Amino acid sequence: MSYETPEVEGYSPIAVFVSAIVGIAVAVLSVWWASGFGPFYETLFRVDPTIEGGGVGTDWVAGNAIPALDFLIALIHAADVLMGVFILVMVFLHWASFRRIAARMRHPGTDEEPETVMADGSGDGGEAE
Amino acid sequence: MTNLDHGKFTRVTTLFHSLLALDVFLLFFTGYAIMFNSELWWMMELMGGATGVTALHRIAGVGLVALIVFWTVLMLISPTGRSNFREILPAKADTEAFIQDVQFMLGRADERHPHARQFAGHEADEVPLLSYVGKGVVYIFAVELLLLTVSGLLIWSKTGLMQYFATRTAAMAFVVFHGLLGVIMLMGVMFHIFEHGMHPAFYPVETKAFIPRSMIPESHDDDEDHEGTGIERLELSPSWHSVSTIFGSLVVIGIVSVLMGSIVRGGYPVPRELVVSGDVTNLLLTVGINIGMFVLFVGLILSMYGNVMRVRWEKEMRRQRNRETVADGGDPNSDD
Repeated sequence: MSYETPEVEGYSPIAVFVSAIVGIAVAVLSVWWASGFGPFYETLFRVDPTIEGGGVGTDWVAGNAIPALDFLIALIHAADVLMGVFILVMVFLHWASFRRIAARMRHPGTDEEPETVMADGSGDGGEAE
Repeated sequence: MTNLDHGKFTRVTTLFHSLLALDVFLLFFTGYAIMFNSELWWMMELMGGATGVTALHRIAGVGLVALIVFWTVLMLISPTGRSNFREILPAKADTEAFIQDVQFMLGRADERHPHARQFAGHEADEVPLLSYVGKGVVYIFAVELLLLTVSGLLIWSKTGLMQYFATRTAAMAFVVFHGLLGVIMLMGVMFHIFEHGMHPAFYPVETKAFIPRSMIPESHDDDEDHEGTGIERLELSPSWHSVSTIFGSLVVIGIVSVLMGSIVRGGYPVPRELVVSGDVTNLLLTVGINIGMFVLFVGLILSMYGNVMRVRWEKEMRRQRNRETVADGGDPNSDD
């Protein structure tokens, strides 16, 4: 470990990790056991209708006859995709910016005085990465 | 020096923001337990099945209408609200800020544009009330909340809606429309949590949304001529690198999954192709959408944490004021 965490001094990180995994596993398994190892009812009794077969739910398709509503749904689907891609761009933009900003900050463990960094000559401080 | 020198929220804004967040999160949890039921079935079970979830969604919906109307009225009748209106108008600098952000990401600019800066530091005077992202959030929220409220109210009485659109399916189309519309906000809120939770200077949460500006002492040490924001004087939290990497990944997975889910699940009025649950894609989608819900949950926790910080800050301020009437740095001005 690159830095010290005084609270858990005396426990090795591996031991903490293993204990956590065992704890979570036992908790999940016990609940699973308690529920009788039963099947997930979610996956049973599924009606699987097809339009060709005239199965349950085909009448719903017959209702898709209002062009305005159909268009509205298509429009909002497009908006979802466009905005989703844009939001992802914004996430990556900020993620990258945050990493650059973080590189300029003082890193824990380095005992340098802030003034020392300022006096480096470089205006924007010590960029490590 | 303090990293709280960029506080811009008033006390009412902080409270409104927290209440709106709580309400919107509840709407997300209940609404998407319905729309993404194949992935979030456990959430529906947890909140009392279909009856419980729809009831909760409606209660939170009433709350949302109340909050929206409250805020609109407040913005119209208060001088502060009216004077702030100018601040949300788009400016040329916003586009420049976005372009400079892209350049900053690519390493071709040394600083973020003042209209993009979250940490203002010594250059707080240059930073506007709203960054370009902040303006975007205001606009998207305004449009989304209006459309969601209108469609939500129409859905409230499905039989009433069917009077206008003869069929059951047409009424259901409104439900689909409502759900798909919310997806944009859902993705946006995940980004919002990342943006204001993972900034290295404010990690784990940007307190300006929780601690009102009246409670933040402003120091104007003009005798010192500072160059730059002073970010290099702040110490990075030891856990920032790992936590921001993990959380950033979760946010990306969450956004992508919710987007995929909206494409797969959101047909009109039933998906055009019925997806049979159980294959690998479905498993990935299930995991991904649940990760998205986890991101929201983290946001909820951070919001609570921000409020805890405010309470502790208030206590500290009161303690300081009791001990000495005037603190050595700046005097804590009690009210706006």
